[in-house]
Amino acid sequence: MLRAETLKLTTVPATKIAVLIAALGLLATQLVSTVLMPYLVNSEGTDPEVAGELPVIDMTLASEQLAVLNLLGGSGSIGVVLIAVILLGVLAGISDFRFGGMVGTALAQPRRERIVLAKTGATALIGAATGLILAALSVTALLLALVLDGTALAATLPEVLGTLGRGVLAITFLSLIGLAFGLLLRNQLTAVLVTLAVLVLEPILLGIIQLATGTLPIWAQLMPNTLAHALITAPNALTGAAATAALTALTALLLTGAALTLKRRSL
Amino acid sequence: MTTQENEPLLVEHLSKSFRGVRRVEDISFSVGAGRITGLLGPNGAGKTTTIRMLLGLIAPDAGEALVFGKPFRDLSDPTRVVGAVLDAGGLHPGRTARQHLRIAAAQGYHAVARVEEVLTIVGLSADADRRIRDYSLGMRQRVAIAAAILGDPKILVLDEPANGLDPAGIYWLKHYLRSFADHGGSVLLSSHILADVEQIADDIVAIADGQVRSATTLAEALAASEGDLEDFYLSMISSSEISSFERTPHAAR
Repeated sequence: MLRAETLKLTTVPATKIAVLIAALGLLATQLVSTVLMPYLVNSEGTDPEVAGELPVIDMTLASEQLAVLNLLGGSGSIGVVLIAVILLGVLAGISDFRFGGMVGTALAQPRRERIVLAKTGATALIGAATGLILAALSVTALLLALVLDGTALAATLPEVLGTLGRGVLAITFLSLIGLAFGLLLRNQLTAVLVTLAVLVLEPILLGIIQLATGTLPIWAQLMPNTLAHALITAPNALTGAAATAALTALTALLLTGAALTLKRRSL
Repeated sequence: MTTQENEPLLVEHLSKSFRGVRRVEDISFSVGAGRITGLLGPNGAGKTTTIRMLLGLIAPDAGEALVFGKPFRDLSDPTRVVGAVLDAGGLHPGRTARQHLRIAAAQGYHAVARVEEVLTIVGLSADADRRIRDYSLGMRQRVAIAAAILGDPKILVLDEPANGLDPAGIYWLKHYLRSFADHGGSVLLSSHILADVEQIADDIVAIADGQVRSATTLAEALAASEGDLEDFYLSMISSSEISSFERTPHAAR
């Protein structure tokens, strides 16, 4: 069943397009901040006042080099990568409903919770593979920036591998959260719109809560985007483990809901 | 072994309502080994709901449907027991027929080589690498049939399988189903095309308003209607169904 679900994902254009958009989004984000911005700042033709306003990364700092390796593009914002990866999962979830393939799947595997399990495995595989592609691209972007800047790598190898590993894990979790959204909502337009609304509203909601209360309650820190960024930028193993546990719990909760819904649904 | 376990398909007292509206009411029939059973009835009669309950896709409110004595969901290797054609096979338009069948083969844990065999059986080998969006309705139906027979099942359940098939395709399907049944297989066939059913069915189950109006052999049905299955069918479905059509629309001329 896992093989069939993986084949489903690899034989439709939507998966390839989502991965391509994520890759192009990451490359564009990283190259703008590490190559284009420094070039504009140092260019003779740039107005000094404008150049002073442009954000420039100090590539000699290990923390800035690690920020380039953040697969979600850093700063906790809603980036192209985040949207593309979640939509990858959403499309994995709704594809079978949209074209009637769920009937054939349920005929081959009448125990529907196993269908969700197989879809989870396949989406995790594709999500992790996407994460690895993005990791390779971000390393390439970092090396290019270091060469152009004439700077040596300041971050240690464990730091680099840790940031990349947590990034791949975050991408995998996000694709699974998207899968749960897709399975729960079924309709393509509804699923995409609800997912985008959740992603866009999350930082706005967090901002409002913080402004109103001066602090962020625990539940507000358990949103997908916040957790994914917390996982990637975790300053120590304990924080990383806590973020991983919270993401695992959130993903498991959503997928369990999707499995229970699918089990009761008429096909 | 009990009788239930010997019976390929056994439907007993199935009932189902959707949002308070009764769609299927106390339906019972069986499909024996080596038999083709035609499930007949007007649109909305409950044929598709019955088939979906039989295949575990819809949970019945009452009654049960058994496949060799077991509910479909309890079959350990369902695609080797039952092959089904519903909804033109749930085909993704962006995939090729070969990709679709490889996925179906992986779902049922069948050898990849079987994909090429069924493509040959349904006559789609030459077009197997074309996108399904470029297929005619008849070609899509052939892909759906190919997926249904991938596991070399003992039972075929087909909901309007002749939809979109050209005359040659219908001819092929009828002969395939007859041969399948003659080799011991069981077929439950829902169709509106009475002439085709008459040519291949052994038994008839007529459904109207969610209820079985008649479950008999084709021979008995024909004997009861002077050899005219259409007359038998119309006499079995509800009078309201018939009166909604004007039997002699040009009589006033």
